[in-house]
Amino acid sequence: MAADWGFPSELEDVAGEVAIAGVGEADHTKASGRTTKEIGAQAIERALADAGLTPRDVDGIMYTPFDGQQFGADDYRAHFGTTHEMWVSTAGGGMVWAGSAPHEAALAIRTGRARTVVNVFSVAWATQRADMVGGPGEVHASELFKQNLEVPFGWFPQPVYFATIARRHMHEYGTTSAQLGAIAVACRRHANLTPAAVLHDKPLTLEQYLASPAICDPFRKEDCCLISDGGGAYVMTSVERARDLRPPVVQVAGVGVGNSRTRVYWSQQGDFTATPQVFAAPAACRMAGIVPADVDVLACYDPFTIVSLMQIEDMGFCAKGEGGRFVEGTALHFDGGRLPYNTHGGMLSHAYVLGIAHVVEIVRQLRGEAAAQVKDAEIGVYGGYTGPQASTLVLRRR
Amino acid sequence: MRFRSDFPLPDTDWPPTREFWAAAARGELAVPRCDACQRYVWYPDGTCRFCGSQSFTWTTVTGRGRLFSWSVVRRAFIPQLAADVPYVAGVVAIEEDPAVRLVTRIVDCDPASLRADTPVRVVFRPLRFAGVQGEVTAPMFVPCRNRPFGI
Repeated sequence: MAADWGFPSELEDVAGEVAIAGVGEADHTKASGRTTKEIGAQAIERALADAGLTPRDVDGIMYTPFDGQQFGADDYRAHFGTTHEMWVSTAGGGMVWAGSAPHEAALAIRTGRARTVVNVFSVAWATQRADMVGGPGEVHASELFKQNLEVPFGWFPQPVYFATIARRHMHEYGTTSAQLGAIAVACRRHANLTPAAVLHDKPLTLEQYLASPAICDPFRKEDCCLISDGGGAYVMTSVERARDLRPPVVQVAGVGVGNSRTRVYWSQQGDFTATPQVFAAPAACRMAGIVPADVDVLACYDPFTIVSLMQIEDMGFCAKGEGGRFVEGTALHFDGGRLPYNTHGGMLSHAYVLGIAHVVEIVRQLRGEAAAQVKDAEIGVYGGYTGPQASTLVLRRR
Repeated sequence: MRFRSDFPLPDTDWPPTREFWAAAARGELAVPRCDACQRYVWYPDGTCRFCGSQSFTWTTVTGRGRLFSWSVVRRAFIPQLAADVPYVAGVVAIEEDPAVRLVTRIVDCDPASLRADTPVRVVFRPLRFAGVQGEVTAPMFVPCRNRPFGI
């Protein structure tokens, strides 16, 4: 397949300039009655405590404008009782931006616009779902081409798109339900080992997966992510400053962003069974000076099992089409798998907080602090995804 | 976000897709075609992504194509679809240009017998939804497995 359906973003080389010095997760729950901003505040409090910083030490904040509810600079000052000016970027948050925010932050820190930057993302979609507002479906239903060319046919919401993609992947490459199930089982096992995971106490075997009914063929419920209240934050600063904070230093080694020319219209993407990781991952690996085989632990934005499978292929961990065979059995498990993957449980089993917790998990893995710890993990990668874009963030312990 | 009261029916007056729904009401399948380079441009766009032209003609196509992929939807993700499940939502690549993929329903079929790349042909059926006033005629597709040369 000619890769003309997308392109990489041109990013400046920021390898080794900044570190992630603190990480925090809010409580991840089902419907909790909390607001998006309350959850964001809790995540930042915990990230600052983790870094050993005070609220005044942070002079930059990154978030996403996408739902109009995110915790921003005014919220920061009100919550923490500070009055200082802050560098503000709306190129942060979760999803793709959980992976690309460190590039933007590195440029701000390099040019003196900020010294220490927090990236935050939170959702209260489990709470809001009870009111039939908010949530991932509404975001898509309010897009007018989707509203007028997709939703009327019942090709909506996202589980239906990605079931259709999975079906085509099965046709083109022979991928099986048991292979998709292996991804769900690996994620669940990791969640079972992770106290903060929403499905911490719910085991899942491959037999149970295969015996469960389809909700939209070929997907079962276990192929689909949770809907959660929760969030996370991470604090970035220069590598020099990070050396004065808690060890070890987790450096941002590489960032890449890939784009699909067909944007949010999955049905039209030239290569229907691929993600823009095809464009993002090579750029990030080049910046970091690594190859996929160097990666000790991977976490990808995983709304559905097939999105994990496609990103693993598209990031170069195996050839395109071989993802199904690659993920079989215990290949993705933290303890001896060939590619420890979503070691906190991912969005399928940990929490649907849109990737921010994935970055938190990778940092913990590289520090040796994870619940399902990969032995001697030194290089960790986050794969972000929205559909229109993908990002790759390479982190390295120094 | 507040949706129209007839959601999830399409807004047949929305300019970018108005001709698609008007054609369907006449029993035709129409897709915009660039007047300069003659390529079909789907989804509709003000500017041709192949040549940059801004002039298009909605062109009636044969209604033949191939089933690119599909899902058998068994859960009603929104209450308006409660009376429809299970249904087959899918993507059809049109014969004139397989890069043009129409989101549609596959009807009059045994879902278990569907195969990717099966030839399909268009039929026109009303879209109706539980608890929603009104209906809109829409292009849907049926398999023509036993008639490989189409209708």
